[in-house]
This record gives sequence, C-alpha cells and structure tokens, in this order.
Amino acid sequence: MDARTIIFYLLAATVIGGGLMAVTSRKIFRSAVFLLFSLIGIAGFYFFLDQEFIAAVQVVVYVGGIVVLILFSIFLTHGSGEDMKKPALGRAVFSALAAAIGCVLTMYLISEHTFQGSGKPALEPSAGNIGAQMLSVTEYGFILPFEVVSMLLLAAMIGCIVIAIKVKVPEQKVMPKIKEETEPVELEVVEELKTEEV
Amino acid sequence: MGSAALILLIIVGIAFAGGGILVSKAIAKTSKNKAKGEPYECGVPTTGTSWIQFNVGYYLFALIFLIFDVELVFMYPWAVVVKSIGVVALVEIIIFMFILFMGLLYAWKKGALKWM
Repeated sequence: MDARTIIFYLLAATVIGGGLMAVTSRKIFRSAVFLLFSLIGIAGFYFFLDQEFIAAVQVVVYVGGIVVLILFSIFLTHGSGEDMKKPALGRAVFSALAAAIGCVLTMYLISEHTFQGSGKPALEPSAGNIGAQMLSVTEYGFILPFEVVSMLLLAAMIGCIVIAIKVKVPEQKVMPKIKEETEPVELEVVEELKTEEV
Repeated sequence: MGSAALILLIIVGIAFAGGGILVSKAIAKTSKNKAKGEPYECGVPTTGTSWIQFNVGYYLFALIFLIFDVELVFMYPWAVVVKSIGVVALVEIIIFMFILFMGLLYAWKKGALKWM
C-alpha cells in the first residue's frame, strides 16, 4: 500500500465518518458541524485529483458559505439546543435499507455504464483555462451562462431580502395570528433558494 | 513523494499538538473545580442556556455574504485571463458586476445592510 492509497483512505474515512456522525448526532447543531468535516474531506478529494480550482470553490462556497447558512437557519428555529428524539426502530431500519438500496443502485449503474473516452488529450483544469472558456464568445464559449448567473444571484439576493424584511416590518400592521402562519412557509422558501443558487 | 510528505505532515501535526497537551498534563500543576468549566463571560456568572434563537437579520447577512462569495468564485478565473483577452473581458465583467450591483443597491435601499 503506497502513500497515495493511505491518503485516499484517510480522506474517505473523513467524508464517511463525518457524514455518519452528521446523520446520527442527536443535536442538530452538531450535525451541521460534522457536515463541515465531510465537506472538507470532499475538498481534499478534489486536491487529491489535482483539481485545485474546484477544491478552492468547494472550501469557499460549501465550507465557508453553505454551512454558515445552515448554522444560521438552525439558530432561527425553536429549540435548536434540544436533543432530537430517538427514531423508532422500524424507521431507522427502513432508512438504513433505503440508503443501502440507493448506494447499491448507484454503484450498479456506474459499473454497468460503458464510459467512452473522447480520445482528445485532457485540458488542464487551471483557473486560466476555466476563465478563458468562461469568457469566450465563440461557439462553445460560456459567456451567456456566465452573465445569466449574475441574474440568478440577483434573484436570490432580492428573494432573501423580501423574505427577511417581511418578517420585521409587519409587527404593527399584521395581526399576530397571520404572522404565526406565515413564518414556517418563509423558511421553506429560503431553503429552496439555498439549494438552487449553488 | 508528495503523498508521503503529506502523511508525515499529518503525523507530525498530531504529535506536535497532542504532545504539547500530554506534556503539560504530565508535568503542570492543576486543580479541578466547577467554576473553571463555565463559559467565560467577563467574570459574570452566566444565566440561561446559550442555545438561543437568532434574529432573522443574521440569516440575511449570511445569504448576502454567500451571494458575493459565489460572485468572487466567478471573478477569480476572470482575473487570471483578463490581460490576455483584453477589452472584451472587461466589458463582460462590467455587465456581470452591474447586475449584481443593482442587487446591492436594492439591499441598501431596503435597509438590509443596517445592523439591527
């Protein structure tokens, strides 16, 4: 077993261990922190594959952004410090079974699929190449998606402001009963935004 | 070579951090009492739990941070190649940033940047 294999198994243990701890932890805040370890492990995998730019994006966006967002959304909820109830045995068994079936199905599909190489030499995944392709205005350039992304980010920003400001303002206008009803709905919308934008 | 060095770094890192703690545990004089385990709060005894509900405003800041975070991810490869591509790249990033600047203006106008 050479050193590279050992690094691979260390990274795999970080990702899987973090994921398992995130799922089994009884405090939701700790789950989010264990998720952090899992995501850092995935960034390590990108470094392992010499994809430095993707690895940096993984750290900046997922570790630095998404997990912070998840932590804040946890702190927004009631009783974030309480222990969650232990799930019923039947439910735990069913969840484990569902996860195992999903895993087996994915692995089966990957092993059955015949991957065909393009035959061309691989492009070096440097930030310069990515930037040149992203800003290219030729046929296979990505300039239109690049500009559309800014619209998507704008929509996400306006959406989150509308949602968050709406909670603060109605205190004197809307009756408390209505306010109670709207709150959970808003949180759901925010979660949709969060997954879409990245 | 690279992977072996990385493994060595991990081992030395663990030994360095853990060794310091172990040595200080072995030779330092310690005393145990309940007050030492409490969270530090300017010497005042803490009241209540620290698991409190946050204001929604923090969430807003986190989301706006995330959006500019993603903007930066797109600006980094741009910055690498802007010199070789030239004016076209400059125009492209100006359009990109103008659209996002509108979002910042909107957030400003709505008072989302004010600390509550």
